[in-house]
Amino acid sequence: MRQSSFKETAARICFMAAAALSIVAVALICIFLFANGIPALAEIGLPEFLLGQTWKPTADEFGIFPMIIGSIYVTVGAIIIGVPAGIFTAIYLSRFASKGIARILRPGIELLAGIPSVVYGFFALMVVVPLIRTTLPGNGFSLLAAALILGIMILPTIITVSKSALDAVPKNYYEGALALGATHERAVFRIMVPAAFSGIMAAVVLGIGRALGETMAVVMVAGNQPVIPESLLSGVRTLTANIVLEMGYAADLHKGALIATGVVLFVLIMLISLLFAAIKKRGEKS
Amino acid sequence: MNYQLLCSFARKALTLLFALCATGAALVSLGCAQTNLDTEPISVYSREDGSGTRSAFASLFGLETTINDKTVDTITPTAVVTNSTAVMMTSVASDPAAIGYISYGSLNDSVKALAIDGVVPSIETIKDRSYKVYRTFALVTDAPFEETSSTHNQETSILKNDFLRFVSSEQGQAIIESEGFVSALSDPALYERAAASQRPHGKLVIAGSSSVTGIMEKLSEAYEELNPDASIEVQQSDSTTGISMVQSGTCDIGMTSRDLTSSEEASGMVATPLAYDGIAVIVNPDFPLDDLSSTEVARIFSGEIKTFGELPSWQQTSKQNDTTGA
Repeated sequence: MRQSSFKETAARICFMAAAALSIVAVALICIFLFANGIPALAEIGLPEFLLGQTWKPTADEFGIFPMIIGSIYVTVGAIIIGVPAGIFTAIYLSRFASKGIARILRPGIELLAGIPSVVYGFFALMVVVPLIRTTLPGNGFSLLAAALILGIMILPTIITVSKSALDAVPKNYYEGALALGATHERAVFRIMVPAAFSGIMAAVVLGIGRALGETMAVVMVAGNQPVIPESLLSGVRTLTANIVLEMGYAADLHKGALIATGVVLFVLIMLISLLFAAIKKRGEKS
Repeated sequence: MNYQLLCSFARKALTLLFALCATGAALVSLGCAQTNLDTEPISVYSREDGSGTRSAFASLFGLETTINDKTVDTITPTAVVTNSTAVMMTSVASDPAAIGYISYGSLNDSVKALAIDGVVPSIETIKDRSYKVYRTFALVTDAPFEETSSTHNQETSILKNDFLRFVSSEQGQAIIESEGFVSALSDPALYERAAASQRPHGKLVIAGSSSVTGIMEKLSEAYEELNPDASIEVQQSDSTTGISMVQSGTCDIGMTSRDLTSSEEASGMVATPLAYDGIAVIVNPDFPLDDLSSTEVARIFSGEIKTFGELPSWQQTSKQNDTTGA
């Protein structure tokens, strides 16, 4: 009896330590980011940092406005490409695909999720960029290339999350619709999809988070010019790219400015997480 | 019934896909045929701010200006920024209108190195200083050469100084040259190792710039062969990390491919030159010119010249071609 209670306590501590690990990691990252980023932010000045149009670290000019806009543009582009394709794939997989097709599609999508981002980047550098260069004006390193590759990269997230939302809709909704005389298509698009709406929105928000945070693939194809892009075909630098590009050589205030870029990114991602939680909550209520 | 519908749908989808592919291929071939370098904008490829290659390139081509007492490069902000030599070379190799720059030691056949002011980059031309575009690799320590630093014990100090002697000796510099870099010392002394009983022992940690890591590994292997009791660990990171590791005492020698910043110098860091590395201006292998003047390169990278047709040497060549053609 005593031994079993000892085992019980030991196991409890073990599990608790495992659970605490992730919290500690998040807390440490927070502390690191804010402790290193805030002093730099204070030195540069928040409005100059967030709204400044020139990024010239060697001249002590740290304006990340072009990068914030760049991140938003690239993410919106990825959403335009990835979201319709992802949602339609999820609807197809959930309600239309035969078992045989689903057997081929599902592992394919899982594989897409498992490919390392540097491989996506390399593929984009060798295939997408030359394709854009030869078909359209410009040198191919562009907002379009980054959005295209990110659109593909967020597909697995969007497909799996929206598919599970669709699968979770009670079966009697569908059957009820059929009983009232709706066709299969009508039942799916008018009943099932609206019922799964909050789940699908959650998928989109997760996709946004993924696109915003992606670094490696974007750095390789976006061109990385620290200027606000004029068109789909001009180069763009995202917040993540800004950090990874210059971390290697940065010193002093430059390093602080890069960490502060990380703080901005962290806050953005946190807002998206809050949005995700809010959508989920609303979905549970309804 | 349902199955048939699916089949016909799949057939339609496939036909559409093929049509798309065909259009894409047609567009690609059309695009290739239309490439006209005269009027097409130049794709300028650069490295990230803070990169040793970038700052060396900018200062060597006079692409610098002073803002608020700080030296700032004037490389056009619309240049594509790559953060590795590999991506730079892949990009330039596939873009007919590209111009970029890399370390001479990394040059291979996938791109073409331009002659600058008529001088082709090579070990010989870098060595005799006729090729002007090169940078310095240096070792960073927390005390001047041969002086014992306060942060180290006796054993490590002896080892460190002996290793630095080896690196700047005739043997050490020969290894540097065999790796494609150029010796930074004009008249190196011969390294004589100590008598067997007095040979340095212990462990030395060297960290820093990835551009210098390759030669440093070769040097430490050769040194360990001569002094079997010594072990040297080379860690690859970047110039800044290497220097800050020396500052914090977590490594003994730092490797840098850029100059020390004033705050680093103020903290007592000392840089000893190790080797010179040429910087090659690279273009696509199909690029028609072999030679640009340094002013032309500077004007391209500052964004002043936007198409190759505006280059004086381009106009000259096409004029020559016209006369030989007629």
